[in-house]
Amino acid sequence: MTRSISIGCGSAWSDDRLDWAQELADSGYVTYMGFDCLAERTMALAQTRRRNDETRGQDERIPELMDRFVNYLSSGGKVVGNFGAANPSAALDDVLRGLRSNDVSGVRVGVIYGDDVLDHVIDRNLELFELGVRALDLGEKLVSANAYVGADPIVDLLAEGCQFVLGGRIADPSLFVGPIAYEMGWATDDWDRMAAATLVGHLLECGTHGTGGNYVDPPYRALDDIVHLGFPMAHVNDHESVITKLPGTGGAVNSGVVKTQLAYEIHDPAAYLTPDSTADFSNVWVDEVGPDRVRVGGATGQPRPEELKVLVGVDEGWKVLTEISYGGSGCVDRAQLGAEVVARRLGPYESAISEVRYDLHGVSALFGDQLPRGEPAEVRLRIAARCQDREIADIVSFESQYLWMGPAGGGGIATQITPAISVTPAFLPRDDVKLWTEVIEK
Amino acid sequence: MKLREIAYSRSGDKGDVSNICVFAYEEAHWETIRREVTVERVREVFGELVKGEIVRYELPGTSGLNFVMMQALAGGVSRSLRTDPHGKSYQSLILDMDIASPT
Repeated sequence: MTRSISIGCGSAWSDDRLDWAQELADSGYVTYMGFDCLAERTMALAQTRRRNDETRGQDERIPELMDRFVNYLSSGGKVVGNFGAANPSAALDDVLRGLRSNDVSGVRVGVIYGDDVLDHVIDRNLELFELGVRALDLGEKLVSANAYVGADPIVDLLAEGCQFVLGGRIADPSLFVGPIAYEMGWATDDWDRMAAATLVGHLLECGTHGTGGNYVDPPYRALDDIVHLGFPMAHVNDHESVITKLPGTGGAVNSGVVKTQLAYEIHDPAAYLTPDSTADFSNVWVDEVGPDRVRVGGATGQPRPEELKVLVGVDEGWKVLTEISYGGSGCVDRAQLGAEVVARRLGPYESAISEVRYDLHGVSALFGDQLPRGEPAEVRLRIAARCQDREIADIVSFESQYLWMGPAGGGGIATQITPAISVTPAFLPRDDVKLWTEVIEK
Repeated sequence: MKLREIAYSRSGDKGDVSNICVFAYEEAHWETIRREVTVERVREVFGELVKGEIVRYELPGTSGLNFVMMQALAGGVSRSLRTDPHGKSYQSLILDMDIASPT
């Protein structure tokens, strides 16, 4: 019998909606659902939550997910996700609690640990090339380090009969590569097949972006319905891979949508680096074979990189954001004057402010001076700053809000102060990253 | 004419690196896009927004270009104080490029 797998995507980021994921899971079209819950920013936020509370730092949707996926899990459907974020064991607790509260039994849960590599980053004093420093230069501001890990432990856990597999910083496409490799019986050192599976994973990992979410740009790129988008799924066998979406939903899976997802966040298309392979997407082809059905192929593979990418979390203190709007004639001049006034008032604190910027929404906030378009009807001044000390953050916020008192006509002030944890990339030898797994049955 | 009339795009981020793809709606316009959308023109369009190198890659299988722009996101999504720290809107800036009409 020909081997095949039908796998859906249930999430593209940490706050993605679960109602449409449930629709796909309950549809009966798929036997696997992959959940990508992480991005660079969300990993940093998860680390912040864990620092404040040791029982947090996992994906916050697990309780809702467990309630929504009772029928899917009870009928044998499998879930793979990086729900662990900064705290896989807390994610496991949430999953077990959800199974218990919904009276679901017989579900074997597999957990992947070991992507937390802070000790190795410190031992090797890794270069943080985007910041121009080494790890130890950061002292206690170095707060976390997570390696992007691949599909191997997912394959192992599925082979052990796990129905629910979770981990920390599992690389986005690997969440799909694992189930595909397991179901198809593809060896994880068969580089062409790893590249083929990575292509499918890459096309699924962005959820509704891959079904038209980020495609619509009327009048050139119009779709009939983008209100109720469907989550994407793939049907893979030894002969072909077809990307499609839940029938009856909006959006589209056409060649244009698939192409933009293909090139999304890749650098050299001939060497797309993941923990599982070095994939060559430059000769990938896409072929519309039916309504919302696109056949893809042409990926080839080379051995996986010897180094794993690591995201290093850095405590940068506090981020302050304040906005105020001006309208009518002279609004841009008044907004610019407001920015100058705040900058002057913050002068005495200049050395304690790591970075500050003043942007004009409606004029130059997105593209600087690169796209001049003349005087708008209204403008919103945005003041953003980062500083190490909370009391300085409070001063920046206060002085920004003092724009209430002039220039004339400033309204709609909004301000917030949030912790500033940033992440920056580094590379660690693969052998440094020792993963281990745990299997629990409820 | 604007590039937007014959091409579409999407931008993504990894750290401080932005990548922007450009695909032709019609296969017939692929050569025009290859000719017009050069690294030099892209640097002109982005100006001060991009501090580092810009590299152009081709995806011949899908008639696409991929521009990889270093130091393009004011420190990357988790550090940047910009309004759009991901550079999601960069796709719209590149499509605003003026190009010579296809022959």
